[in-house]
Amino acid sequence: MSRPSKRSGSKERLEARGVAVAFGGIRALSGVDLELRRGEVLGLIGPNGAGKTTMVNVLSGFQRPTSGSIRLDGIDVSRLTARKIAQAGIGRSFQAARLFRMMTVEQNLSVAAIGSGLSRRKARERALDILDWMGLARKADHRCDSLSYGDERRVSIARALALQPSFALLDEPASGMNDAECEALMEVIAELPARFGCGVLLIEHNMKVIMGVCQRIHVLDGGQSLAEGSPRDIQMNPAVRRAYLGEKAADSTLAI
Amino acid sequence: MKSKTMPSFAAIGRFWLPVLALVVPLALIVTVTGQFGGLSLQRTVIEMLISIVIVVGLYVFVGNSGVISFGHATFVAIAAYASAWQTCCEMLKPITMAGLPPFLRDQSIPLLPSAIVSVLLAAAAAFLTGLVIMRLTGLAASISTLAVLFILNVVYSNWDSVTMGSASIVGLPTYVTAWLALACAVLAIVIAYLYQISAFGLAIRATREDEVAAAASGISLYWSRLIAFTLSGFMVGLGGVLLAHYLGTVSINNFFLSFTFLALAMLIVGGMGSLAGAVVGVVVITAMVDIFRRLEGGISIGGEQWSLPAGTQELIIAAFMLLILVFRKDGIMAGREIGLPEQAQREKGLING
Amino acid sequence: MANIVQVLVDAIALGSLYALVGLAIGLVFGVMRLVNFAQADYITIGAYALVVPTASVTPPLLLGALPTAVMIGGVLLVVVVLALLTERVAFRPLRNSNPSTLLISSFAVSYFLQNLVMLIHTGRPKSVGIGQSLANAVEIGGVRVPGVQLLTMGVTAGLLVALVLFLKKTPLGIQMRAAAENFQMARLLGMPANRVIALAFAISGLLGGAVSLLLTIQTGTLDLRMGLMPVVYGFFATVIGGMGSLPGAALGGFLVGVASVLLQTYLPADLRPFRDAGVFTLVILILLVRPQGLIVTSAAKERV
Repeated sequence: MSRPSKRSGSKERLEARGVAVAFGGIRALSGVDLELRRGEVLGLIGPNGAGKTTMVNVLSGFQRPTSGSIRLDGIDVSRLTARKIAQAGIGRSFQAARLFRMMTVEQNLSVAAIGSGLSRRKARERALDILDWMGLARKADHRCDSLSYGDERRVSIARALALQPSFALLDEPASGMNDAECEALMEVIAELPARFGCGVLLIEHNMKVIMGVCQRIHVLDGGQSLAEGSPRDIQMNPAVRRAYLGEKAADSTLAI
Repeated sequence: MKSKTMPSFAAIGRFWLPVLALVVPLALIVTVTGQFGGLSLQRTVIEMLISIVIVVGLYVFVGNSGVISFGHATFVAIAAYASAWQTCCEMLKPITMAGLPPFLRDQSIPLLPSAIVSVLLAAAAAFLTGLVIMRLTGLAASISTLAVLFILNVVYSNWDSVTMGSASIVGLPTYVTAWLALACAVLAIVIAYLYQISAFGLAIRATREDEVAAAASGISLYWSRLIAFTLSGFMVGLGGVLLAHYLGTVSINNFFLSFTFLALAMLIVGGMGSLAGAVVGVVVITAMVDIFRRLEGGISIGGEQWSLPAGTQELIIAAFMLLILVFRKDGIMAGREIGLPEQAQREKGLING
Repeated sequence: MANIVQVLVDAIALGSLYALVGLAIGLVFGVMRLVNFAQADYITIGAYALVVPTASVTPPLLLGALPTAVMIGGVLLVVVVLALLTERVAFRPLRNSNPSTLLISSFAVSYFLQNLVMLIHTGRPKSVGIGQSLANAVEIGGVRVPGVQLLTMGVTAGLLVALVLFLKKTPLGIQMRAAAENFQMARLLGMPANRVIALAFAISGLLGGAVSLLLTIQTGTLDLRMGLMPVVYGFFATVIGGMGSLPGAALGGFLVGVASVLLQTYLPADLRPFRDAGVFTLVILILLVRPQGLIVTSAAKERV
């Protein structure tokens, strides 16, 4: 039943080139370069206010960069609306879940499937498929306002996946989850590239989740790129530790 | 890999239950009042059915998009006048409506084709208006629909040579019977239901819940609203044709603010979130209007004639609408269709599907 | 030459009137996200308070019979009380509703008030002789300007200055602007929400009362729908001026008034009855080109 679904014409590379975003006097992002490839899980971390969510908003078309560009397989998509970018294959979940509360779980996913071009019937098939894989099949016809917090977040991710995107941007999916839920989430995220054939950008504060599923990690601080590398590289990087823990802790290891 | 076997009776029943739950009582009302009711009651029932066509049409846009439209009376009027131009007063048209193009002025067009043309015209008007208006955000769009209402009112009230200005066009053939009105009401309910469970319906309902998440799911706010608005214009246009050929007259001031208020009141009181809400709202408000009409007309209590001052009706309905908004803001049906209790339980997460 | 000046004066006078209405609507919208249809009835009821409730088309004066200053004070008081009443009874319970609910509720309130006036005064237009001396023209630089136009411009200018001073200098005024920008934040910072909203309504009532008087002096008639057209124009003013922007609302009102007079003057005679339709179409066209309005505020964008 589950196999990696390779969309015809699905994209290989999502890049941010020199992206800067300024709100009035505040520079949320300054000259950030980022690259996400299909099949990999890239973590995006940084202290609060580092610009992580702004970056996701830029990548998904909800924020136009003041300068720089977003490229999908080399093609500049910075001027596209959020909806066109979603249709081009970039799906995202939101920090606040933002589910369609009056609709059922299956309907939430079906909306995204419809957005990617499917008919109602096929959309439902895809939705049930994904829910089944995520272990949410029993809740398919439950209204979203009756879900537990953990389920809400999972449905939010599932909905992004129902677009069958080339790239899934997950904005703090683990926030508020307990250990068991985090474990389950990590399994899901780790399987995404194989199962869906997509690339994943994971924004998280939870270091356990980040270190556990990411192949590469990109660190932002104060709107600028601080470092990028494997989980181990990042853990060892003194600049990163300083940014998170302050000067004193620069010499201690980044505990996970 | 979907199975090709016929869905069971139970499945068909479950599918159509929300529609049948509305249609069957309506059919019963028509049958019973046809047999036992007086003429005045029968007329009220026909008016109610026509109102259902119009308010369900309004619901198709307002309920699914969450955007209030003050402009739908425009499309009702466009269809009503179009039907009048085609079918009315063959003898008088060259005099009273001399500005009409010759193919309209000098002949009458048979009833069915003229009805179809009128409804399509309303739909086209809705489409063209929607092309412009749906570019705007919800509130600006609502205000713009008000502008559309006023534009039509000003134009039709002053275009004497074509519309007879603010005078009434009288003498339209009156062919609308209770059963025809019922058939159209059923048609409206079925169309609305099929739309809201279709891919288009789901898409626009998502935009109503959360515009941002809908965009992230690849849904176009503009197109989903435009489609709903056009379908909605089609349906209220049908209501306009029915109204014209039930009353036998057409007058632009019957399609202005009072009309708009009443239609919105019916939708809001019943609950703008569901089809059942639209229908229930029409029934409740029609009943209220009828009761107050009789009270204003005068009744005898203990041998004394007693009547409410004219205009009380509007006050009470407005007050009632406000009460509903304050105390039960999602309306009587609270945005739900009439379905099986089991289904409702499942949706609440009380039992597993 | 004199003709153009005449037209300009008319345009500025009507523009001023609509700017006042736009401001009233923009103010309430700013603090509550409510597009207040009832503003039309504030204007209408303020005017009808000048006469005794009868079915007659030439009714005896009520407030209108009082000395000028008292009459003005009386009308303003009536409208302010009405505005506060509608806020307390109808709009406060609905304060946190979504915009659609608010919109439809103000429509219902307006419908209620409209029919109430009809019940009390009957629907026929009435003639009222108030401030008749002002109808006389004043000679300025070779141009005859009706006194009422000068009055309108003067009153508008005065009210605008007073409002700007209030919003910029007084604590409540500053809080009102803060609330219009970001209601939740202002509340968290200790803004007395009830007081600020009530004040916004009171000011909108004041502006409405001013418009009632000016309209009545200008036209000499009372009509159930007299508040409707200015307020409908006022909505469009707010929308094209930019929702959430007070200068925008005033600017929008001004532009709409000017457009109306220009169309009235320069349209060929047989097209003149369609003047209003023309203005409304212009509004929709402006919105097409600039959907967020002329002056954009942060109130417009939603945070993701």
